[in-house]
Order: sequence, then structure tokens, then C-alpha cells
Amino acid sequence: MMVLLTIAALLLGLVYGLSGLELPVVTFLTGHTDAVLYLLMFSVGISVGMYRGLAAKIREYHLRIFIIPAGIMFGSIAGGILCALLLHMPWNYGAAIAGGMGWYSLAGATIGRLVGAEMGSVAFLSNLMREVFSYLIIPFIALKLNYYTSIAPAGATSEDTTLPMMLKYTNEETVVLSVLNGMICSLFVPVIISLCL
Amino acid sequence: MDILLVMLAGMAVGRFLFPAKAKRGNERLALVCTLVLIFSMGVMLGQRDNFLQDLFSLGAASFLMFLVPTVVSIVVVYLLSERFLVKKRRSGKEDPQ
Repeated sequence: MMVLLTIAALLLGLVYGLSGLELPVVTFLTGHTDAVLYLLMFSVGISVGMYRGLAAKIREYHLRIFIIPAGIMFGSIAGGILCALLLHMPWNYGAAIAGGMGWYSLAGATIGRLVGAEMGSVAFLSNLMREVFSYLIIPFIALKLNYYTSIAPAGATSEDTTLPMMLKYTNEETVVLSVLNGMICSLFVPVIISLCL
Repeated sequence: MDILLVMLAGMAVGRFLFPAKAKRGNERLALVCTLVLIFSMGVMLGQRDNFLQDLFSLGAASFLMFLVPTVVSIVVVYLLSERFLVKKRRSGKEDPQ
């Protein structure tokens, strides 16, 4: 549902932009994206702050829970920097885009506001592709590599949208680690983007 | 950096002040803000003079930006998990003590 809504919002915006219309409401909205972004980040902060169980889970799994998110964050940022070099763009743009780790809505919206519509679109599309392709890759990785590695393509989405795939193709321990990984990665997505840009 | 400060302020509010019953409303607010920002991004893109010509290059760059970080993540997590998670589990099975 979320995927459809965001794609619809993007397409609607594109059609409006191409049409050459100048509606006052839309002009007001597009002229105040700073305020909307601050509101979004405040709201994301509230969601993170309201989650009570993370500290207890960290105590239960100790340092082991950080191995997978650390690998995903390092791999994503390193891959993003490599892409930036290949595409002749600033390295920090590549790191920020890949630092979205599949959270396409937040990465697209934030990077679009901070850098520009072009980079925002790349962030949106690449992170959307990461989520969509994760559905296809997870069963293969679970079968050919190991269960833990199947969390890697999902990135920040491993606690929600791609979790059903984990439930179907891995075991209970991996599902728990998948949820924790999603929480940790989701917490770090805004931090990585903010620090890179 | 100011975004990070706003998020930290939100975390403090969520931890100490925000009522649990308003959680759903907060999620809706985040959704609306996200949709407004994505829509605005679409408007800005659509208003570009040569947007349709740029679309192909954006798509190719996006695919690369998805593929390489995902593959590198998989490789790094595979190596780390084989070293610290799978081996430990196997050795634990061999020697439960």
C-alpha cells in the first residue's frame, strides 16, 4: 500500500510539473518543503523514542545483534561511494543515497530536499529497487549462502515489508535478528543521510 | 545537522511526553509529510526543461545505486556472519559446554 501511495505521489507530481499548471496550494506546498521535512524528522524521532523494547533486546543478544546491521551499513555506504566514483558524482551523495538502505520514501524525500530533485529521484528509485528486488533475492540467499545473510538486501525494511519473506524462508532466530536489524538500520538512515550531506 | 537535532528532539518527546494513544496519529503525520515531499520532488522534476531526456540516465544511475550497495552489503554480511555467527553456532553444537 505504501509503495503504491508513494509512486502515485511521485507520478502525480511529475504530471503536474509537466503540465505547466500553477495552482496556489501546490506552489505553497512546494515552497515550504523545509518545514515539511522538519515535521517528518520530528515525527520519525517520536516513533523511535516511543519504542521501549530495544534496550532489553540489546542486552539479550549482546553484541551479536550489531554484526548484521554494521555489515549492511558498511556495505551500503562503501557500495554507494563506489557508485559515486563510477557515476562521477560527489562521494557523499553516493554514500547518502545508498545509506537509505531500502527506506525509499525517507531517503527520496530527504535527499530531494537537501540536494535537489535529481538526486532525490535517484535515492527514491534505487532504494525502491532495493526493496522490490529483496523479495526475489531473499529465498535464493537463504538457500545458497546462510539465513543471516538473507537480511542484508532487505536493509532497513527487514522489520516490516520484507519480514514475511524472512518468516517464510528462514528460522525464528533470523526473524528476531531481522526485526532488530530493521530497527537499528531505520534509526541510522536519517543519521547517515544527515552526516553525509 | 539541524535535521538530526530535530529528530533527537522528537526522540525525547516520544520517550518522555508523547501519549501512546496518539501513536497512530503520529504515523499518519509521517505518511502525509512523506507524500507531500515526494509529490514536491515530482513537481520539481516535471518542471525541468529536459526531464524526459534525463529520465533514462536517472533510471540507469538508480539501478547502479541499487545493485552495487546491495551486492557489497550481501558480501560483507556473509563474511561477517560466517566468521561470527555461523561458526559460533556450529562450534556450539559440537561442544555445548
